[in-house]
Amino acid sequence: MKVYIYKIFERFWHWTQATSIFLLAITGFEIHGFYSLFGYKQAVIYHDRAAYGFITLIVFAIFWHFTTGEWRQYIPTMKFVKEQIDYYILGIFKGAEHPTNKLVYNKFNPLQRLIYLGLKIMVIPIMVFSGFAYMFFNYPNQTIELSGLGPVAAVHTMGAFFLVVFVIAHIYLTTTGHKPLTSIKAMVTGWEDMDEKEARAMVISEMKHGLQKTKAHLLTAKDQSKFLDEALAETENILGVKKENKFHDVIANSGAGYFKIDRSGHYVEVNKAWSNLYKFKKQEDAFGKHYSLSRSKEAFIELERSFNSVLKGETIEHGLVMRKCQDGSVGYHTITMTPWIADDQIVGVEGFILDIDPEYAAKMEWNVNDQKK
Amino acid sequence: MKKVIQVILVLLLPQIIVFVVVTNSFNTKHAAPSEPIMVNYITKKHQSTMKTVDHSKFEILQQEFKRPQDLTLACLSCHTERHKEVMVNNHWTWDRKEKLHGRDTISIGKKNILNNFCVGVGSNEKMCTKCHAGYGYNDKSFDFTKAENIDCIVCHDQTGLYEKVKGGMPKPGIDLNKIAQSVGKPEKDNCGSCHYLGGGGNNVKHGDLDSKMNDCTREIDVHMAKEGEDMSCTACHTTQNHKITGKLYALSSEDKNRVTCEQCHTDRPHHDKIIDNHSYRVACQTCHIPVYAKATPTKMIWDWSTAGRLDEDSMPITEKDAEGNVSYNGMKGTFVWDDHVIPEYYWFNGLADHFLITDTIKNIPVQMNSLAGSYKDKGIWAESKSVSKIWPVKVHRGKQPYDLVHKTLLLPKLWSEKKGDSAYWMDYNWANSLTAGMKYLHLPYSGKYGFVETEMYWPLNHQVSPADKALQCVDCHTAKPEGRLSKLNDFYLPGRNHFAMIDNIGLGLLIITLLGVAIHGGIRVVAKKKLNHD
Repeated sequence: MKVYIYKIFERFWHWTQATSIFLLAITGFEIHGFYSLFGYKQAVIYHDRAAYGFITLIVFAIFWHFTTGEWRQYIPTMKFVKEQIDYYILGIFKGAEHPTNKLVYNKFNPLQRLIYLGLKIMVIPIMVFSGFAYMFFNYPNQTIELSGLGPVAAVHTMGAFFLVVFVIAHIYLTTTGHKPLTSIKAMVTGWEDMDEKEARAMVISEMKHGLQKTKAHLLTAKDQSKFLDEALAETENILGVKKENKFHDVIANSGAGYFKIDRSGHYVEVNKAWSNLYKFKKQEDAFGKHYSLSRSKEAFIELERSFNSVLKGETIEHGLVMRKCQDGSVGYHTITMTPWIADDQIVGVEGFILDIDPEYAAKMEWNVNDQKK
Repeated sequence: MKKVIQVILVLLLPQIIVFVVVTNSFNTKHAAPSEPIMVNYITKKHQSTMKTVDHSKFEILQQEFKRPQDLTLACLSCHTERHKEVMVNNHWTWDRKEKLHGRDTISIGKKNILNNFCVGVGSNEKMCTKCHAGYGYNDKSFDFTKAENIDCIVCHDQTGLYEKVKGGMPKPGIDLNKIAQSVGKPEKDNCGSCHYLGGGGNNVKHGDLDSKMNDCTREIDVHMAKEGEDMSCTACHTTQNHKITGKLYALSSEDKNRVTCEQCHTDRPHHDKIIDNHSYRVACQTCHIPVYAKATPTKMIWDWSTAGRLDEDSMPITEKDAEGNVSYNGMKGTFVWDDHVIPEYYWFNGLADHFLITDTIKNIPVQMNSLAGSYKDKGIWAESKSVSKIWPVKVHRGKQPYDLVHKTLLLPKLWSEKKGDSAYWMDYNWANSLTAGMKYLHLPYSGKYGFVETEMYWPLNHQVSPADKALQCVDCHTAKPEGRLSKLNDFYLPGRNHFAMIDNIGLGLLIITLLGVAIHGGIRVVAKKKLNHD
């Protein structure tokens, strides 16, 4: 199964960084005097320019990390570090499973987190600053002056060795994915091949995250959240509306599609948004219809399983679902189902559906097609 | 299709961007102009060649001059105040007030300084003053206030016929009348008649001043080359009111009145930032005078201790080396010559010290003149207004007499017209020669002499090579022992210096990682086969 984990900028950034580091290393070690390749002067010029290019990239990458929240990927943790080390030392030879799963904000294993964070906040800054010192403070008549290049060169060289060693280990560890080339392919296409279990965990976490995001968006986009809450509370007080109906009322005012299905699986209530999403002419047209009508065969089986769980009292946030609309077109939505309770009895299922961004859906579809190939 | 575009975007775009950035392909102006930046200089084709005065038309110069002094008086009859300018110039005084580096200000000049060629002027004046800009400097009693003794024409003759002999007098029989009418601005050979020939022969002393530079190719000297600008000495050594700019640290010790490359070329002439930045710590000369003595060999070693071998007729023996240079002369000792010499490199900040005849020898070899400077002499640590830069230097090594008891250098009396006057070049007796020399200076001499090794430093300035012959990065940025700066070891130079420990640890880590990867990978492959097999 393939899951989309590396976004396009991330991949662009990664490969540009890789090329830059490669070039910086080969020119840097030529300047260091290990061999002669470009010629000293050319090596210096290339090294300097690559450094400036790299710094520009870093600026963009920092911006990206903070605007997308991806920086959270690098929050260090010691949890599972031991398991991860054990895996590399022992488990991997026995065909054991990876001790951690990739999740939306946890796509790195704890060792990766630590190492990448170390690179980001230590090695790269040290290389950048010692590099600047190398470039600017080696001659007098400058604001800041060094007594000599020795210490700068020492730090810069150590950093360079560390990076080379890192790159070698890094490249090697790409082969420890699902299949040897999985990780590299993932870094090119964005889609990582995973085993069923890991993919499932990833998808669920992705869905959860997507839903949270959509919900947050729904509530905050019009900045009505507070108003909405107050209105609800007021309505509850005045009309004595039962708590169970709160869901219904919230949904009724939002863009989400609301539905209620009785135990036998027939729609008893849908809101305007719902009927619009399914392209019914009137809400009433859906009443009495069985929910299987809007599903493919496989999807139905899956939905049925969820449906039955909800009837047993679970609340299910179901992942991405494809719907067959009345006019024959297809749409995607997420679905959240919760028991419909009347007189302390589960009499059916109520829930809401959120239409999914067509671009995201397209990606998923691409994946499906890909798998078919 | 979308996938293909994405893959291209992700994989190829980075390569293209990095390539463009690194090769600077977006900058179409990156081809640097070949000409260096130039300021404050009017090229030959824009200079006026019109002569404003024709000295042959002056009646006073049409007389037969009985004495050269009469010619000088004739000059001064029109140029009424010029003698005042000349008589404070060190070409006349052979002396000037200089502050020695780290020491007091003293009167120093050709008059009293020692070198490791013919050692010193004292008691040998008549021979040495062939190059004095005056007439009759025969001994220390010479009257430096008598204007008629100024030799104007040694610098201003344009016939090329003028020649000086002992005591600085014109060679007998020279047509002073013709010379007087020819006078003009000093040209190469006016300066060269002395400065090319210092130390007793062409290019002996400086190594970068050679009579062949009167008419040379660009390979030898880009500035003076006939096919180029054909610059005269005064084009750089600009002169007003007989104040001549420029000086050399064989005699000087202060960082003043220097002639620099920067005065025309600025300190950033390269159209290349990295190279321009080097000029913070590297003198222009260092890269642009990759070798010196390009046309004529120069003297590298002069060992006086072997002097005195005479043939059966009591004439000094001479021997020549394979190139035909005199490698031994009974009068002077053993010589080593060299051409296309690679300079030695020193930090230099424009301040120098000199070993005076009254100084006590503490270190061997004795440094006749020591150039001050170090890597650390820069910025906030700089000891002078100018930071130390790496300079190319001709080091002339010698072995010359010193006082075994007083540990001072000794001045021999070398020259006399007659035998029995204690002159070494007549009598070949060191004891007498040294006694006479020191007595002449009223300085103590124990009577016990030996020979001590000495070094004299000549910063190089001339014989600038064409740009394409300049030193390249790896001439210095290399760990090879033949690297130009392999001996200038007081600083970290990229490409030359390494921290052995860091390199060893780094390379060790690299090997361990590669091994680790190989072993880990190997085990994985084997384990997987086994798992599949099971």
